[in-house]
Amino acid sequence: MSAEESIKKELTEAFDFIGEDKINIQRPGRIFIEVGQENFAKVFDYAVRQLKFSHLCTITGFDEKERLAFMYHLTQGPGPMLNIKTSVPKEKPVIKSVTPYFPGADCYERELEDLFGATVEGLMPGFRYPLPDNWPKGQHPLLKDWKQDTSEQKKG
Amino acid sequence: MHNSKEFKIPIGPQHPALKEPESFSVALRGEKILGVDIRLGYNHRGIEKACEERSYVQDIYLIERICGICSHAHATAFIQAVEEIAHLAVPERALYIRTLVGELERVHSHLLWLGVAGHEIGFDTLLMYTWRDREIVMDILADLTGNRVNYGINSIGGVRRDISPAQVKDVLKAVDKLEERTKYYIEVATEETTIIKRLSGVGVLAYDDAIKLDAVGPTARASGVARDVRRDDPYAAYDKIQFNVITDTHSDVYGRTVVRVKELMESYGMIREILKKMPEGPIAIKAPPRRIPAGEAISRYEAPRGEDVHYVKSNGTEKPERVKVRAPTLANVQAVKHMLKDRFLADMPIVIAAIDPCFSCTDRSIAIEDGKSRKKNVMTWQELHDYSIKWHRERGFDPAEINRKFHKTMEGK
Amino acid sequence: MLASLIYILIFPGFAFLGVFGLFAEFFDRKLYARLQNRVGPPWFQPFADFIKLLGKEEIVPCDANPAMFTLVPVIALSTVVAAFLYIPLWNTTSLLSFNGDIIVILYLLTIPTLAFFIGGWYSSSLFARIGSVRAVTQLFAYEVPLFIGILSAALLANTWSLSEIMTFYNKSPVLALFNILGFGVSLIALLGKLEKVPFDIPEAETEIVAGAFTEYSGKFLALLRLTLDVEMVAGAALLAAVFLPFGLGANPVIGFIFFIAKVLFVIALITLLRTVFARLRIDQMISFCWKRMVPVAILQLLICLILKGVIQR
Repeated sequence: MSAEESIKKELTEAFDFIGEDKINIQRPGRIFIEVGQENFAKVFDYAVRQLKFSHLCTITGFDEKERLAFMYHLTQGPGPMLNIKTSVPKEKPVIKSVTPYFPGADCYERELEDLFGATVEGLMPGFRYPLPDNWPKGQHPLLKDWKQDTSEQKKG
Repeated sequence: MHNSKEFKIPIGPQHPALKEPESFSVALRGEKILGVDIRLGYNHRGIEKACEERSYVQDIYLIERICGICSHAHATAFIQAVEEIAHLAVPERALYIRTLVGELERVHSHLLWLGVAGHEIGFDTLLMYTWRDREIVMDILADLTGNRVNYGINSIGGVRRDISPAQVKDVLKAVDKLEERTKYYIEVATEETTIIKRLSGVGVLAYDDAIKLDAVGPTARASGVARDVRRDDPYAAYDKIQFNVITDTHSDVYGRTVVRVKELMESYGMIREILKKMPEGPIAIKAPPRRIPAGEAISRYEAPRGEDVHYVKSNGTEKPERVKVRAPTLANVQAVKHMLKDRFLADMPIVIAAIDPCFSCTDRSIAIEDGKSRKKNVMTWQELHDYSIKWHRERGFDPAEINRKFHKTMEGK
Repeated sequence: MLASLIYILIFPGFAFLGVFGLFAEFFDRKLYARLQNRVGPPWFQPFADFIKLLGKEEIVPCDANPAMFTLVPVIALSTVVAAFLYIPLWNTTSLLSFNGDIIVILYLLTIPTLAFFIGGWYSSSLFARIGSVRAVTQLFAYEVPLFIGILSAALLANTWSLSEIMTFYNKSPVLALFNILGFGVSLIALLGKLEKVPFDIPEAETEIVAGAFTEYSGKFLALLRLTLDVEMVAGAALLAAVFLPFGLGANPVIGFIFFIAKVLFVIALITLLRTVFARLRIDQMISFCWKRMVPVAILQLLICLILKGVIQR
């Protein structure tokens, strides 16, 4: 059995809410999995502690109309990449920080806060990233309905 | 200044030690660093958002301009993701050419780093020598791709330029020369007393911390973490090339220097092997698609600074739905904070430089002035002009007065 | 009266020293560049820089003490020029000379560093303050080996007068060879005094911008830079006078050419040293001075004491 298959097997056995159809092995080395927000913490913890995914590559945010989705890209160093996706409603976009596992994730989560308007619980106090300090509140550029209004367009 | 008084000094956004604007606010007691706050984001240009509004072909060139030094890394990582979504079979020769340019880029980047490191510890002679020799590889890159930086060699499904036998000879000749020079630099960097004094024991990042803080690239490898995407998750032609993953156990800036100079030697071997093994054949697929079917892909690339991650999601149109870039420096920034604690102010430049920071990579997206919601905050050109005149006038200097005088003299003539 | 004015203002005072100092800067920069495989500046570059800086606007920071801030460059420059007046040029007699003048020269050469400290401190910029504190910290480290190195040569000659030291060694040049350790120590200490690599810690560009000079601009900066150039010439001339007592007493023209050549030789050694080293950290610099240079300097002192006993017998 390949490494991807065994990871898939372990995950489906550990959690009964993860069915075969929820895990997608797109190609060797790429595992995609989608879980609900309520189960995310459990799966993430299992992946990090039991499956030894020791490296968080980054977190990608998505604007999916009604919901905000987040994908956590994990690797073990050598070996396959596990991509855990979860989503929250836009009205209440609150997620838990993963900095207790990966202190290096600080910047990735601040980026979600600035660019998508998510609220990350459990972040240490610090500077915002990456937008300037005087950026207006409630403007989150990577949301799909946010349009840039450049001075050039204004003139035209 | 050995009193108990603490004070904060600003290193950046503008400071001679930084080649790009970034702000490090350093709390000092005497010469000792108590803590560092890092503020990033000064180079935010809105590339991720801009990518969503452009076609895939346009995005290649936009993404190539994320960074001037590891431009090929970003462009290749992006294009690999797109090709994976579209299920394109890229010709072998194109993969070899991509790998070749990637390794040449690593050589140029590591030589550049060696010079910068020399400058940060006040050893300008090393800077002048390495940058002189870096010109050799820059010339080769210009010859192969047409550009010294932002090579523009990639296209969807292949590369844009082939390599002629004459160029192969040129590259081999240049590599021989560079190898000889690099041997000399290894000697200098590992045996010169003042260099060793300044580098060893500085900016220590233990093995466990490197894993915990998600360090990547030479920074992690110098702490003994054998992570290299070229081996762990092979792309392009790396699965067909022999090479060693260089690690070191010094865990300090000295270790990072050793890793980089040894990687240079490794790259020379790889370039020779690539040129030897490069198969004949087409360099690109015919008629690459403009529309990419819906799907998603993650591509990893071992840039000179470490792991570069690109995520692309497509929606079946000519434009991507979402492009996410994570440059290596962003992964290493937290490690810098850790390395600087309880060190001396004098070590700060070299510790920061030792991760080979590339902040314009790090800050990609947004920051285009937003009109609607903060009309009052936005200054028009005229307002800015008036403000600057007022500012100077308050300080006893009137530009308008000078203007008037100037016009008077001109009229007088 | 007129003669003294000419001495002070023209030769060998301000005008000569200014020109020679700027030329020495060119020599240093050109040699540095050639050693680094660069082209280097044209001969008039330091002069052009100086003149350009004179024409630039001077900015005195709001928080700075204006009197101190503006006085410092003038004090620094005048002390190094004064120090030079005690150093003999083509023969063994200097313009001003008395028994004990070598101590005066060494002290006059210390004042610029203190002046930089005061200037940096009163300019109230953080970078300038750190730089000025570093300058003074460094002063305590290199000054001791420099003093021991130079004064042991004086000890052997049994006089505190620079003219008499030169006369002594000119008579028996072989004895000068015994001072080679002292020459080495003084040369390295001089690097600290001139704030050059590996001891350019007080103005380490990549850490604290320009150190004590960070807030200086225009005329004041021009004067400060000239001070460093003149200090380089004066320091090199002092070392040349004490440790290289050759070719003196011939006709003035040849003696003068010898003098210039010796000074440039010392400057070339300084340039060479700064080409091959990286900057040290302040703690490393201090431990190097006290643990390595001071013992060597004391060894030199012992050699001189023993040699003196042998000679007197």
